[in-house]
Amino acid sequence: MAFLGLMLFGLLCLTFAVSHVMPGDPARLAAGPDANESMVATLRAKYGLDRPLGVQFVRYLGGVVTGDLGQSLRSRNAVLEDLLRYFPNTFELVTLALLLAVVIGVPLGMVSAVYQNTWIDHAARVVSVSGVALPAFWLGLMLQFLVALHLGWLPLGGRLGLTAMPPEPITHLLFIDALLRGEWRTFADAAAHAVLPVVTLCFPALASIMRVNRAEMLETLRQDYIVTARAQGFSGFRVVTRYALRNAMIPTLSMIGLRYGWMLGGTVLVETVFDWPGIGLYAVNAAVSSDFQPVMGVTLLIGLNFMLANLLVDLAYGWLDPRIRRPA
Amino acid sequence: MSVAAPPLHAPALPAPRRSARREEIRRYARAYARSASSMAGLVIVAVFVVVAAIGPWIVPYPEDGRGAVNLDRKLQPPSAAHWFGTDEVGNDVYTRVILGARVSLQIGLIITVVAALVGVPLGIVAGHVGGKVGETIMRVTDVFLSVPALMLALAVVGALGPGILNAMIALSLVWWPGYVRLVQAKTLALGQETFVEAARARGAGRARIVLVHLLPNCVSPIVVKASMDMGTAILAAASLGFIGLGAQPPYPEWGAMISHGRNYLPTWWWYSAFPGLAIYFTVLGFNLVGDGLRDLLDPKSRA
Amino acid sequence: MKTARRLLLSLLTLALVTTLAAAPAPAFERVGDKKILVFAGRQEVPTIDPSVKYDWSIRMMQQALYDGLVKYVGNPPEIVPWLAERWEASPDARTWTFHLVKNARFHNGDPVTAEAVRWSFARTLKLNQGPAWMLSDFLKEDGIKVVNEHTIQFTLTQPYAPFLSFVPWWYVMNPKQVLAHEEGGDLGQKWLTSNAAGSGPFKIKRWQQGVLYELEAVDNYWKGWPSKDRVGGVIYKLVREAAAQRAALIRGEADIVEGLSADDYDQVGKMPGIVVPNFPGMTTFGLKMNTQKAPTSDLNLRRAVAHAFDYDALIKIYNGNAALQTSPFPNATRGHVAVPGFPRQDLAKAREFLAKSAYPSGGIELEYVYVQGLEEERKMGLVLIDNLGKLNIKVKMVPLTWPNMVARGSKADSSPDLLAIFATPVSTDPDAVAYQYHKNSWGKYYGSHFYQNADVWGLIERARTLAKWEERAPLYAEIQRRIAADVPEVFGMLANRRWGMRDHVKGFQFSPVRFTGEVDLYPLAIVAK
Repeated sequence: MAFLGLMLFGLLCLTFAVSHVMPGDPARLAAGPDANESMVATLRAKYGLDRPLGVQFVRYLGGVVTGDLGQSLRSRNAVLEDLLRYFPNTFELVTLALLLAVVIGVPLGMVSAVYQNTWIDHAARVVSVSGVALPAFWLGLMLQFLVALHLGWLPLGGRLGLTAMPPEPITHLLFIDALLRGEWRTFADAAAHAVLPVVTLCFPALASIMRVNRAEMLETLRQDYIVTARAQGFSGFRVVTRYALRNAMIPTLSMIGLRYGWMLGGTVLVETVFDWPGIGLYAVNAAVSSDFQPVMGVTLLIGLNFMLANLLVDLAYGWLDPRIRRPA
Repeated sequence: MSVAAPPLHAPALPAPRRSARREEIRRYARAYARSASSMAGLVIVAVFVVVAAIGPWIVPYPEDGRGAVNLDRKLQPPSAAHWFGTDEVGNDVYTRVILGARVSLQIGLIITVVAALVGVPLGIVAGHVGGKVGETIMRVTDVFLSVPALMLALAVVGALGPGILNAMIALSLVWWPGYVRLVQAKTLALGQETFVEAARARGAGRARIVLVHLLPNCVSPIVVKASMDMGTAILAAASLGFIGLGAQPPYPEWGAMISHGRNYLPTWWWYSAFPGLAIYFTVLGFNLVGDGLRDLLDPKSRA
Repeated sequence: MKTARRLLLSLLTLALVTTLAAAPAPAFERVGDKKILVFAGRQEVPTIDPSVKYDWSIRMMQQALYDGLVKYVGNPPEIVPWLAERWEASPDARTWTFHLVKNARFHNGDPVTAEAVRWSFARTLKLNQGPAWMLSDFLKEDGIKVVNEHTIQFTLTQPYAPFLSFVPWWYVMNPKQVLAHEEGGDLGQKWLTSNAAGSGPFKIKRWQQGVLYELEAVDNYWKGWPSKDRVGGVIYKLVREAAAQRAALIRGEADIVEGLSADDYDQVGKMPGIVVPNFPGMTTFGLKMNTQKAPTSDLNLRRAVAHAFDYDALIKIYNGNAALQTSPFPNATRGHVAVPGFPRQDLAKAREFLAKSAYPSGGIELEYVYVQGLEEERKMGLVLIDNLGKLNIKVKMVPLTWPNMVARGSKADSSPDLLAIFATPVSTDPDAVAYQYHKNSWGKYYGSHFYQNADVWGLIERARTLAKWEERAPLYAEIQRRIAADVPEVFGMLANRRWGMRDHVKGFQFSPVRFTGEVDLYPLAIVAK
């Protein structure tokens, strides 16, 4: 925990430092194009931008501790409020994509390892290298072009149809809320809007999960005990799923944890392409207009998520591999 | 970008004699050539490098790379005169894609080299010297690694302002920690090897241990990572270009071209389709080469 | 393999099912017997506080939710009575008296009184944000006097003829309602960000920040409605991608979209069921040149640049839907005159001027700064590189975010050689444009030329204090000629304003004084076929 705290502090220093090398004047942004000097000065004082950097940093730290991440200068909204509004969307997108990546990637890796050097293996490996090499934003655009615009099968972007009314929030997760409220149309609408972004985001993760799983499976399948088990007549399927897969899951799991973090970064691109109202799009919109508080907030949130994900992976490690289990 | 756990490597030996070294390289080359996908990667990379080198002399409309304006022929579909069509100010997309290779090569090289130059020494210090200094280096590295590189680069470029130079600075700035991790783990593992301990017992100095025993044995994982990173760095720079924070017009950068071309989808699809393919093949090439090298230099996955 | 195939199959099924579920929406939304208009816009509406901020999307909402004393209507824009049924100015243009209508009510039923007007103007002045700059140099809080419940008087600190031309943008809030939601002396700023306390034709129905904003028509709007087919409400849906806006329009999911590219407008305009209103705008595009820093401090170099620029390219970028400037003033500005000999591309002349300059053979590099992400400005930069290359002048394109760009332009020694500026004058009074060339505009985004000409400044100062138009008009003609002669910028063009609309949308009223994209929602109607 102390370690986590230290990391967080480091992260805060980092985001603060990054956002304060900005050459422009954020107060001007807030004041609008026609504002005169006195108006800019008013806002500069209001946001404490006229104070020394040290003071601003202490203020920022104090704010973070009390849950105040500052204000977006464009919208004047509290950053925390914005993050709470947009993060559930990103969370749903990332979770779905990760699920899909695991559901496809793990079996694919497994099959590819079992049938090593057959055409199945080659095909799976093509998918895998492509997944890493395809620019996510371009893949997204091409999917939009083909599936949404050309074929007209799926909507182009956004979270819901133009005029759809989202369900009254319970969990703030749209899918779950729609289910809980029994609003099937909304659920279907949301699902239709989610297909392309989820597929786009899942592709690189799928590739690396498959790649790791395949490598580990190959490794495990060569181990003595598997060879023995097979020799003793245990059915291939059972050996593979029961022993080999379990072993191969350990590094795969750490890849999944790592990928969760990467995906949070990757949503920046996917959300931009698909107009998905999550924190990635929020960060990009802020970054291109020098609105630094939201960028800091998002960076912090993603960093925190990343750390937590790693922590979870560490815990899961112990569960999967008794050898690593630490004394409580 | 690579697997979380640093790969193990061939039993580390002090540098062998030169002729044996040459023989070994030859052996590696033969092994490498046996893999079709690795060779495909090599071919792609070779084509890419050649195109980057001679691009300006082989393109049909060299002035289009510098930002000519021919509004009379804007947004034309692919044809014999314009293989990849033309963009919104009438520039030849094929010309710009070819010229973009040079830009991407520069970006990839600079980011990877800077990251390695910063990361490798820090990693050796952290792994070999250890102590407070090593601890501090690793903590800072961890902080950097706790945020996805693209997100951090986005924040940095957002602060510095958009542009190709700033994008490269930002990406180099977030790229080095990977090397620190890699090299630190490797040096730490090597430190316990008998030959290093033997050298230490013989009274070899620190510099000698680092230069003769540690560094050469770190070369293969670094090479593998660097070849992978060439691809990913190009991809990352293109991503920044796409968001609008990377290369700026009239610079023929692939990500930026896609970003502008996107406004012209679906009717004028060629504008963003071809630069995307270029990115895909380039990154694919570097990844395949990296994969091939990994298979070769990392006995764990060598079948 | 089986697993993979099954997965693929189930994925496809899911896609199919969801596709069917998300079948195209009807042409417009209906709620009961009300027809709801759907506007797909790219820009957020971060706040609707009338004292805090305005841009096109914000003001579109403010104009729908609030009323001003007067309102800009039509093309050419006219100032028509609104909350004020009549007004008079003293002969010296210092004292302005407005007489309010008696039947105007806020949405909560409170009457709109002179005191509410006073309070609203005072609030904007006090917060010193948003539209405050328009009047803050002439109007102080104690200059606003409530004469009686329906009469209010403004006494300015000095005579100022253009006063009335700014008043339409100062909306009237209900002080009681706002103060009831005050937090820590913020004059209701937090609350008014996403709530309204107005008397306008619409009120808020749903406000989902960053997603969608829905307005509901006020059935018994005090001023009544112009059409029996009026809309029952408006949904402003945030759609950040041009391709998505376009698709929504084509499929009939959106009734109005803005911000498409010139090529897109041309395309959708040809489609059945879609109309593209196309009107000359008032937004000028020009390249401001820094007149105080070398090399652009050299008048002959500036002239050379102005004559090398390919003005036709500007028109081509908009596929013909733009008009070249014929004077420093937009055509719709009162008192506009076409200046004879206004620069057009003429390379021979450009070379002549260059030869007379300190850089007779070129060999310099000029910096072209523009707003990051603005597609048209980027294209103009490409045009510039091409044109000036012929004079052996290089151009370096530097995109900056808006605040960074304004920061660069705020000082004469950092202001770039060429700064691309789209400027929409907030009023039709010529002073709004002329004053951009006054010393007091130095450092603002439109003042990045740091133009220096004391004679012109004198004329500008004199013209704004005269009450009679007959006296002002010749001064402005003179001002236009003098500014043009000094070439502080490459005067470019006025792009047409376009929207994509379904053809069942009626009643659209264009007024060039509104911003690009901004639509007056009040007169809109939907006539179903």
